[in-house]
Amino acid sequence: MTHLSDESLIELATGEGRASDLEHEATCEACALRVRESRETLALLRRTDVPEPSPLYWEALRSGVRERIADDKRRVSAWTLLVPLAAAAALSFVLWGGGAKPPAGAGPSLAAWSPLPVAEEDEGLRVLEGLALTADGDADWDEPEGLAAYVADLTDEDSQALAETLRGRGQGGES
Amino acid sequence: MTSSAIALPLGLASSVPGGEASLERDAERAAIAACRRGEREAFDALVARYQRPIYRLCYRYVNNHEDANDLAQDAFLKAWRAISSFRGESAFSTWLYRIAVNACLNHRALKRPVTQELPETLIDPRPGAHAEAERDDEARRVRAAVSQLPDRQRATLILKIYHDLTHEEVAEILGSSVGTVKANLFHAVANLRRQMGAAGDARP
Repeated sequence: MTHLSDESLIELATGEGRASDLEHEATCEACALRVRESRETLALLRRTDVPEPSPLYWEALRSGVRERIADDKRRVSAWTLLVPLAAAAALSFVLWGGGAKPPAGAGPSLAAWSPLPVAEEDEGLRVLEGLALTADGDADWDEPEGLAAYVADLTDEDSQALAETLRGRGQGGES
Repeated sequence: MTSSAIALPLGLASSVPGGEASLERDAERAAIAACRRGEREAFDALVARYQRPIYRLCYRYVNNHEDANDLAQDAFLKAWRAISSFRGESAFSTWLYRIAVNACLNHRALKRPVTQELPETLIDPRPGAHAEAERDDEARRVRAAVSQLPDRQRATLILKIYHDLTHEEVAEILGSSVGTVKANLFHAVANLRRQMGAAGDARP
């Protein structure tokens, strides 16, 4: 005799059994016992309730949900402001610091472009400041020719001062 | 429709003789539409309607009030965030249960000591109401045994036995087949029987 499958057994236990399975249960003692045990367990489960919270709790739950929705809205608003700011900061970083690395062996390292202590009498620094001020205005640093064009327009004196400054910073190890 | 007009039918529908289900469905649809327009008061009405079954589902899953409260609030917050994606292809209750069950399934013990104590201000003022439930040793043992079941078996058992859902509804909520639901239910019952039997044997 083929006994009831697990699926048929649980269907019978939950009162959703098929007629053929009910017939089998009526005639097979082993299957009838398994179905009865499962029914007993389910009956025990159904008798078991959860502790009823205070009637006051439901208002506290709703209030908690309202607060979390309000917090969530504030957080989303903050992000909508922060994301463009972060994007702008990242773009600035790429344009000013991380973008235009000089080719290897072509002069001073990038460290020469790091913030330097102000030395009023250093002509090279004056030129560098000029570079920065110009860039702050309308220089397009996305295009390498923007910087190249500025350097090409320097007077001989300024160009020499810039070269000396960069060379001096590179050798002196200042960064 | 204003949100205040939505909140009333949800609360009153069950007291109106005849046609309650239809009234409630209409009110629920109106509340959902209002929520999709961003009206938080309408969502409050939906929370009021479903807070009890959702909390109880969570409680049965984690077997303590604090986590159940957190999970229920999480479920409602997620529902609010996602309500614009609710297309009405399934019942709202099924959709909400799915969110709550997923919150439970994703719940990885918050490492909070298990306790059934309620905050003092929330304790039921009726004499002995909470104590009565807590005295029920059998109920406590059963709840503890349920909370030890593997995740899927536990979710299946809770939805099927305590929320009176059909195998098909449980399958839809859990995103599995009807056959899997029946198999999980069978194993859940067998495991519980074994656990309860072992606990019973161990008792003096």
